Amino acid sequence: MTSNGITAPPLGLYLHTPWCVRKCPYCDFNSHTAPVELPETAYLEALLADLDADLPWLPQQPVTTLFIGGGTPSLMSPDFYRRLFKGLGERLDLSQLGEVTLEANPGTFEQDRFSAYRALGINRLSLGIQSFQDPQLKALGRIHDSANAHQAIAAAQRAGFERINLDLMHGLPGQTPEQAVADLQAALAYDTGHVSWYQLTLEPNTAFYSSPPPLPVEDQLVDIQDAGRDLLLAAGLQNYEISAWSKPGQASQHNLNYWQFGDYLALGAGAHGKVTLPASAPDNILRYWKTRQPEAYLQRIGSRTAGRQGITTGDLPLEFMMNALRLQDGVPSKLFSERTGLPLSAIMGILNDLVQEQLLEPMEKRQRLAPTEKGHRFLNDVLERFMV
Amino acid sequence: MTDLSHIRNFSIIAHIDHGKSTLADRFIQFCGGLEDREMAEQVLDSMDLERERGITIKAQSVTLKYQSKDGREYELNFIDTPGHVDFSYEVSRSLKACEGALLVVDAGQGVEAQSVANCYTALEQGLTVLPILNKMDLPQAEPDRVKQEIEDIIGIDASEAVPCSAKSGMGVEDVLEALIRIIPPPVGNVEDPLQALIIDSWFDNYLGVVSLVRVIHGTVRKGEKMLVKSTGKSHIIDKVGYFNPKPTTVPELKAGEVGFIVSGIKDITGAPVGDTLTHAHTPNVAQLEGFKKVKPQVYAGLFPISAEDYNAFRDALEKLTLNDASLFFEPENSDALGFGFRCGFLGMLHMEIIQERLEREYDIDLITTAPTVVYEVLMLDGEVRYVENPSRLPELGSIEEMREPIVEANILVPQEHLGNVIKLCEERRGRQTNMQFMANQVQLTYELPMSEVVLDFFDRLKSVSRGFASLDYHFQRFEAANLVRLDILINGDRVDSLALIVHREHAFSRGRQVIEKMRELIPRQMFDVALQAAIGNQVISRQTVKALRKNVTAKCYGGDISRKKKLLQKQKEGKKRMKQVGNVEVPQEAFLAVLRVDD
Repeated sequence: MTSNGITAPPLGLYLHTPWCVRKCPYCDFNSHTAPVELPETAYLEALLADLDADLPWLPQQPVTTLFIGGGTPSLMSPDFYRRLFKGLGERLDLSQLGEVTLEANPGTFEQDRFSAYRALGINRLSLGIQSFQDPQLKALGRIHDSANAHQAIAAAQRAGFERINLDLMHGLPGQTPEQAVADLQAALAYDTGHVSWYQLTLEPNTAFYSSPPPLPVEDQLVDIQDAGRDLLLAAGLQNYEISAWSKPGQASQHNLNYWQFGDYLALGAGAHGKVTLPASAPDNILRYWKTRQPEAYLQRIGSRTAGRQGITTGDLPLEFMMNALRLQDGVPSKLFSERTGLPLSAIMGILNDLVQEQLLEPMEKRQRLAPTEKGHRFLNDVLERFMV
Repeated sequence: MTDLSHIRNFSIIAHIDHGKSTLADRFIQFCGGLEDREMAEQVLDSMDLERERGITIKAQSVTLKYQSKDGREYELNFIDTPGHVDFSYEVSRSLKACEGALLVVDAGQGVEAQSVANCYTALEQGLTVLPILNKMDLPQAEPDRVKQEIEDIIGIDASEAVPCSAKSGMGVEDVLEALIRIIPPPVGNVEDPLQALIIDSWFDNYLGVVSLVRVIHGTVRKGEKMLVKSTGKSHIIDKVGYFNPKPTTVPELKAGEVGFIVSGIKDITGAPVGDTLTHAHTPNVAQLEGFKKVKPQVYAGLFPISAEDYNAFRDALEKLTLNDASLFFEPENSDALGFGFRCGFLGMLHMEIIQERLEREYDIDLITTAPTVVYEVLMLDGEVRYVENPSRLPELGSIEEMREPIVEANILVPQEHLGNVIKLCEERRGRQTNMQFMANQVQLTYELPMSEVVLDFFDRLKSVSRGFASLDYHFQRFEAANLVRLDILINGDRVDSLALIVHREHAFSRGRQVIEKMRELIPRQMFDVALQAAIGNQVISRQTVKALRKNVTAKCYGGDISRKKKLLQKQKEGKKRMKQVGNVEVPQEAFLAVLRVDD
């Protein structure tokens, strides 16, 4: 316990690799076209120097999950990760590290590395399949094709990955419910235990945003979702978060920690972290973020932290709910105070209204803050209530 | 009587865009009132809103020293008047303080209806009117035709009309010379007890109430004790002065002069416009004839979006009424919108300006209901009631007769647009009573239901005549009409603040149009929103705003929070202009759907 009643939350580590072979037109993540030769050693040195510089003010707790995202992390060689893990182990307490996820592109050249990744202790692979249909993959600007996708999943399973997430998108240009269902069926055939099934959304600062493709209208989107939901449920998956589906016990621990308003360290170009410091500082629950441009990240000396900002008391309820209410089963009511240091009474009026409107489950029954099915569908309307 | 032959008090009567503000600026510049660098465009329009809309809302004054060619120095007091049809009341107020008026006419466009009306007001009040032909620098200037028009339409001698160009500065000195030659000086006696007319009063955050006055007789000095006749209250005078156009304090204001008085009056009703001021020791000085109380023509309910703003809203309205006696308000309690005020306005522009000032200067977010005129209702028991709120219309069964206000509208329009204007008037249930061909223009007189005129008639008139037609109208009488109340229901509940009074013949089409428009304007929500129009218990139109099927962000991970928060912020901003009616979010535009059915 810190002195203001906040329990130190579990700590994850998010590590970002910023390079891709090509930027996809829908992607608004921090990704950049890879140079001919990836500066693996320089990047590794930058990461570790960055971590060294930030360590004095970061929480000193065991890291329980590690997520390597991108960009395309599978562009980096197994040797890069071997040296990285060694470096991290010298600086962080990894004794309780459980889940280690790597995002991988289902291209042929990556598949050859899966065994090596697995051997390094990476125990969960997240494959950016997006679709099993070539025209759709083309429209999305992906560099892999349907055959690659199938081979990649098989290769991951052969390499010994017991936990594999398949990223799939729906609501694609011209997509029918049948096509969306076909994608899901193809994925479910591999019984990987975890599917992230996202609706394609047009994000600002993307190619799709400036010249939008013809997306299905709302009624078609909902038909796609209904059809997909039925199929996923029938396959025994739970919709534990808005877009995340898993078999029991297969949920992503790293992502769950985000949604439970846990802490996470940031490392790598453009990465964001959130940490809870001892209560002596007024901004003790804070977000911090790293320099975005890979070149700048490589060149800077010492800490690559570009900014840090305390979450204000006024913003805490919203930020907590933006995460917690994404979970189908919500969170225990007491987690609100444990994570934010605020009494639940501070938001009781809003909560009661939402229960009244059947957007939130009644709290007395299970002592949980959980959205109803309707609350989940209209989460943005629910969240708006928590805005100052 | 004291010799006041060096003073001239005058107004300018002009149509919007005919160059009044520019001419006023030239006068100020010519008389050295401001350094060149201080000459912000159109200094007299001091409210931001006035400058943005290019119109003058409040009377303002400026005192200028003019060195005439005859070798004397004159004191010119220019009292500004508004130029829009909504504000004719303010015009008569400004004119009360003057002996003369300049009628400024665009030498290319000719006379327009509002100037005609204002000119008559000036003549009725005994003012000398001096015609000025402005915009003589433009190639389309036709001074002879326009002079003829002035004589034909208004009936005053235009042979001495002074040509000028306020824009280029040409002829400005001629205008000033003609002004002192033709407009008579005021008549008054400095030795008599003080008698002064309050032309305007406004609230200043630092000074309290400031009053613009015209001294008729006597002298008023700083430190004296003055009496406000109607309130019977005395106040010590803190400051007297004039605007040149910057406020400039002087030791005294004398008979014939125009200037301001600050006396520490804190209560906004302490210095009513049109009231008479004297000294505390001469309480028997006669009360001057004040201003005609004008009745608002258009009423609408104004409701704060947030109930917490109610008190601030009331205070703001009180402050606005100090400067604007034509603004009327009384508390209104709506089932749908909560506590607010029913406000009366001179016209739609007046309403828009008040609404904008409330939002801009007082930071209050408002919902305005559809404006309505006042109806006269004869009850079965012989009682006559006036209804300015459709939701307060008595039960139809208890009504003997409903009467709607009829106006006489005078329209001036160039011949080539005559057909369009007549068509518009016919569509609006108009009856033509006169048509006269003048030089290039046609003078049309119509009797029209006021409800058809006040809302958007002026805008429509402008658009069907490419901006050339002009309008002046005044209330004539109430006339029996077959009227019904059109109720709007949202999810089965009658929404009092959406009710309309319409002509029975138009009820079905109007109901259908309003509902259709509302369907477009009300955003989709978490549930279906049923919209119905009904007369009594008969539903005449029905539409549904289909429920949104979801509103959720697909992805949100650790790094996404700030971006996703922005999306929520945007969503919330969008609802700032919406009011919760039952559990339905209704945007401002939907309350005014009736105004937009012609779109």
